[in-house]
Amino acid sequence: MNISQTSMKCNKCDQRAVLRMKHHRLALCKDHFIAWFTDQTERAIQKYHMFRRDQRILVAVSGGKDSLALWDVLHRLGYEADGLYINLGITGEEGYSDESERYAVTFAEQRGLKLHIVNVQETYGASIPALAGRTRRGREKPCGVCGLAKRHIMNRIAREGFGFAAGEGLAGQAGDGGETLAEEDFARRAGYEVLATAHNLDDEVAVLMGNLMNWHIDLLARQSPVLAAAPGFARKVKPFCRFYERETAAYSLLRGIAYIEEECPFAVGSKQLYYKDMLNKIEEDQPGTKLAFYVGFLKARESGAFLPLPQREEPWEEAEETAASGPQLHPCPGCGQPTSNVGLCAFCRTIGAVKMTKP
Amino acid sequence: MAIKLILRKKETELEEKAIQVKHALQRLELSPEAYLLVRDGELLNENDVLRDGDVVKIVPVISGGTT
Repeated sequence: MNISQTSMKCNKCDQRAVLRMKHHRLALCKDHFIAWFTDQTERAIQKYHMFRRDQRILVAVSGGKDSLALWDVLHRLGYEADGLYINLGITGEEGYSDESERYAVTFAEQRGLKLHIVNVQETYGASIPALAGRTRRGREKPCGVCGLAKRHIMNRIAREGFGFAAGEGLAGQAGDGGETLAEEDFARRAGYEVLATAHNLDDEVAVLMGNLMNWHIDLLARQSPVLAAAPGFARKVKPFCRFYERETAAYSLLRGIAYIEEECPFAVGSKQLYYKDMLNKIEEDQPGTKLAFYVGFLKARESGAFLPLPQREEPWEEAEETAASGPQLHPCPGCGQPTSNVGLCAFCRTIGAVKMTKP
Repeated sequence: MAIKLILRKKETELEEKAIQVKHALQRLELSPEAYLLVRDGELLNENDVLRDGDVVKIVPVISGGTT
């Protein structure tokens, strides 16, 4: 092999390519990749009618490459986007959560962006691992409780804003003039109109694979780039849903975004990583498989292939994803967020269990 | 001399005069879908050539957790 003859050029200019995307039959240099990535993000926002420039967006940031890349590109596109970092209290070898928070804070400070921080330990009295360890569902692995807590907190901050978080629920809260605001008025004044997460295509196809393997038809029906707002639920969008994970990583590297490279210590052995690994093996042999899998799924979903069964029962944390088509919901007496339970929601029950078992 | 590759603080050396990125990844049994290579702050494409004396960072791009 003559390796001196194998340099790869950008498809748009004569510069050296930094990334080849076989599924798009495209290789780009640094500048053209950043421009392409930015343009594709805007296209996804428009294609799926995610949000407009006059809307306030809350970006869920973890300190990792995807979420900081999303915040960066939304900022560059001129969207009004604040960040939300949730410190889960995960330690690991290098203080995983605190270290992640430092990356999020540094990113926000360098760009003059507003970052909300919720510390789970300080707010709810226990870190996620400690909280999970005292519950049946999280005793072996805290990921389920972690996901539940993150969804609860993200929805709360998105709907209420940060300064109004102390009282949790919306019911009966007063606005500036002391009057009680209607729910939607309150959300408009205090919170955000859209919650944006940085799920990429690899995340989406891993979830899709998991849902197919288990034939979770109801979950397939609601896996979407956009989840519409519903009473008690913020609108959720995923502007990166068509980017491969290596593309979001490349964007962060090329933009010089410092992010936490350490993996969550609890992610080791996760099913999501297993599915990602499996799908990447197929992608290596058949480039474009992941993209075709996801786009084909969205088309099938749009055509009604996964319409939910109206009478199907579902757990609260799943019901929150599509309140509009889910079971009848009630406000949780603990936090005010909608729940399919008549009593406390799963999150409040978890917090309650912790309080009861606290030494 | 050798080509030094660093992945999560762990160093591996390839005794090669020159090797393409894609072949270096193959030698290390790493998926090109899951790792990117950076040399002197520059992102490398799969055909770029690593040479004797290079110090290259291997960046994992796949993360997993719940949402």
